[in-house]
This record gives sequence, C-alpha cells and structure tokens, in this order.
Amino acid sequence: MKQLICLTAMILLCSLAGFANIAQPDKTPKRVPTPKAAPGIVTTMDIKLDRDATQARLIIPKSQLKQLRAELAQFDDESDDTAAVTTPGVSRTQTIMSGLFLSLAIVFGGMWFVRSGKAATKAGKSLVVIAVVAGVASAATYVYANAGPPPEARTINGKMFSQAVHIYGFGWGEVKLEAGTEDRIRLIVPDPKEEKPSQ
Amino acid sequence: MQEIRVSKFEWTSAHTLLAGFLLACAVGAFVIGAAPLQMSIATIFLFAGIHNFMEFRYFAARMPLRWGRSWLFYTVGIGGVVMLAASYITLYFAGGNWLWSLDSWTASIATWNTAFVLWLAVMLFLRGRQRPQSNWSWAFPIAFLLAALAWIVPQYWSLSLVYLHPFMAMWFLERQIRRTKPEWLRAYHYCLASIPVFLVVLWTALSNQPDLSQETNLFWRISQHAGSEILPGVSSHLLVAMHVFLESIHYFVWILLIPLVDWRAVPWKLSEIPLFARKGGFPKVVIGAIMVSLLLVVALWSGFAVDYTGTRDIYFAFAMAHVLAEFPFLIKML
Repeated sequence: MKQLICLTAMILLCSLAGFANIAQPDKTPKRVPTPKAAPGIVTTMDIKLDRDATQARLIIPKSQLKQLRAELAQFDDESDDTAAVTTPGVSRTQTIMSGLFLSLAIVFGGMWFVRSGKAATKAGKSLVVIAVVAGVASAATYVYANAGPPPEARTINGKMFSQAVHIYGFGWGEVKLEAGTEDRIRLIVPDPKEEKPSQ
Repeated sequence: MQEIRVSKFEWTSAHTLLAGFLLACAVGAFVIGAAPLQMSIATIFLFAGIHNFMEFRYFAARMPLRWGRSWLFYTVGIGGVVMLAASYITLYFAGGNWLWSLDSWTASIATWNTAFVLWLAVMLFLRGRQRPQSNWSWAFPIAFLLAALAWIVPQYWSLSLVYLHPFMAMWFLERQIRRTKPEWLRAYHYCLASIPVFLVVLWTALSNQPDLSQETNLFWRISQHAGSEILPGVSSHLLVAMHVFLESIHYFVWILLIPLVDWRAVPWKLSEIPLFARKGGFPKVVIGAIMVSLLLVVALWSGFAVDYTGTRDIYFAFAMAHVLAEFPFLIKML
C-alpha cells in the first residue's frame, strides 16, 4: 500500500514538472480577421455551342492562369492565419455520440410513454398517430429534398440554356479544364442534335 | 332584489412590485441599449460578487440540518456540484495549452455537458420518487435528447446556457413567491410576461446597429461571451445588450426581490439558518463560511479595480459553481 502511495505521489510530482512546461494560454484575442475582398480578374468569356463537341471544355488563357496562381499563393499565405479561427465542422466522434444519445432518447422516451400508461388513453393514441404521420412526412420531405433536377440540368450541353431548365436557377456537369493560348476564356458546350421521333 | 357591488380599486404591494419591476426594466433596457459595453462592465463590477453572496445565503437557509429521506438527493446534488465545478475549472484553465486539439477540446466540453444533463435527470428522477404518485423518469429521454444536441451543436448549447441562466433566478423567485407571498404571484407573472416584450423592443431597436468595438481584449471577451462569434449575423451590440439586460434582472432578483419575499434570505437573520440555529448544528462553520464569502466579495471588487479583464475571466470560471449549485435547490422546490 505504501509503495502504491509513494508511486502515485512520485507520478503526481513528476507530472507537475511536466505540465509546468506547457505554454501559457494565449491572452491575445483570437479575433476573426475581416476577409479581404479578392481583387479577382475581370475578363471576357466566349460561350460556343458546338455540335461536334462531345465534352464541355473550359479553356483559360495561360496569362490569366498565371494571375490566378499569384492570387492563390497570396491566399495560401493568409489561410495560415485564418486556419486557427475557422469554425470547425462536425467530427466523426460528435456524430456517433449525438446519434447514440438521440437513439437513447427515443428508446427511453418510448419506454416511459408505454409504461406510464399514457399510450392506452385516447390522447396517447392520437399522439402516437400524429408522431407517426409527422415522422413519415419528415422522411418523405427529406427524400424529395434530395431528388435532383432533370438530366438536362445535370449535363453541360446546349439544352441547359433552354427555358425548361431556367426554372431551377442552377445546373452542373462535367467540364474539362484546359490552358489556352488565346486572350479570352472560352467555354465550349456540346450541342447535340435533337433526335426526331420516328414516324 | 338585486345587490349592486362596486369594486373599489386598492393599491397593494403587488401593484408596487409590478410598477417597480416595469419601471426598472424600462430604465435598464434604455440605458443598457445605449451603452451595452459600459453597462456590462459596471453591472458585473457592482453586483456579481454580492449576488453570489446572497445566493449562498439563500441556499444556506434552505439546507436542512438532517437530510433524512432526502440524503440520496442531497448527496447526488452536492456531489455533482463539486465534481462538475472542479472538472469545469480544470477544463477552463487547461484548455489553452498545446496539448488540446480542437477535437479533444470539443469532445471534453460535450462530455462535461452530457454529465451535466444526466446529473440533472438523476436529481429530477430522485425528486419525483419523493413526491406521491409521481414518476419523473421522463427526465431521462429529455436529458438524452439534450446530450445529443450538446454533441452535435456544442457551441449553440453553451450559448443557450449563457442566456438561460438568468431565468433560473426568476424561476426561483416564482417558487418562493408561491410559498411565502402568494398574493404577489399574479403580479409577478405579469412581470415575467413583460420580459419578452422588452427583449423584442431591444431587438427592434438594436438589430441594425453596427457591431461593437473589439479594440481591446475586454471588449472582445464581452462580445464573445454574448455569442458574437457563434452568431456572426446578429449585431454584437444587440447580443451584448440582451445579455446584460437579462443578467441585470438576474442580479436584481437575487439581491433585492428574493430577500423581500423570503425573510429567511436576509443576510443578518442568522437564526433562520437551520445549520446555525438548530440543536446539533454547526454555528461556527456557518459564521466562518459567511465571513469567507464576504471577504471574497471584497476581494472580487479589489480584483476588478486592479485588473478588470483578468478578474472577470477568473470570476466567470468559478461562477459555474454557483450556477450548478442552483439546480439541486431549485429541483428540491418543485
């Protein structure tokens, strides 16, 4: 027993020396720096609908790529300072623990609801029905919210410019980035021919 | 034959409470809205220490000499206050060194918050067992739900504690009025109902104000405490004003209203403290504790006078103990 106490005391004393070397907390305020407006590059872009093209291509002039590279270097320098104050996302541990406690809440809540006898009453049954309907409705909303726009808005081609796709206000698709020798940015968009319905 | 009764309006002490509360809130909201940083500094300097003393004095009067069938409740309650306060202070002062990554810091805070809500659930459950035909096991699913929130949005959880804590004092006062001054209850409910109105007025008046100055460490700490980093889209002028307004009501309740409602909370009425006056009590310990509390109030004023920013940080680290101590006594009053 004495050995155990002596060993514990020694570890505590040694840990004091170890912890004493830890740097003091930074007293300076960790303010979020006001983000500077990026100077950016004002340029002109040509958009060309090409019936022969099979893939969308974005061709950026080399001169403008150099300017972008310079901006990128400046951005990297600044990001070293801002990294410490960036709002963190949700870590894996947080998600797991949160899910665990949410599950426990549902399980314990359900057990309490059933054991308390409230489930057998008219109000209890109504509450269960409302909860089930609300749950199904929430799930349906979630599923529908994840549904994507039609294929026309998910491929960069000539159809993306049609009135039918405008209602979505956005679209995306694969594009090939290239460095070019011209002085203007060019976006070449495939424009497939309309397939006429067979008679 | 019909009897015609003419009800005559009579000004009572309940009307005085309502009028005084509304007037104090109106003046407070105006002054705080005009100068939130200055009022934050002034109110904490003047009232922080003394309100802690009054709280301690109130709890001393409510602590029974023999715990009897409540021994488990008080053991869990006081044990939880000691353990949670010690771990909070350790986290607060140890969190600034390089041993802590952002993830470990977040996990530690979320673990502390989880322990805190589970402690509350256990106390509610134990209190429910003491009441006839009561089953308060609903506290556990609610605690688990809150724990889930504490893990997924720890920053909003902590901020909500900052803003909800002032309401604890109002809840205490409500329970106390029910016991010792029921004729004030209706007027007090009107007082409580007026608080959201004042908050809406503050919001309307200040939501478009530019953010407060953060040119000094103190100003930055005050704004950050009120949630300016967590809610960057909301004017820090409004956040600080709302926080100071609620904190001022909290101080007002503890220092003035609770002693008015419960004479046992008046500091010099030591005979009302069971631990002091009852046979088998600990009068020397009570006197010693009160003297130490008064010395701490004076030390706090001196500290604020010498180094306001440093003392403020230390105060808010240790102030968690008084926040925690409120819960066992409040739950016991339910």
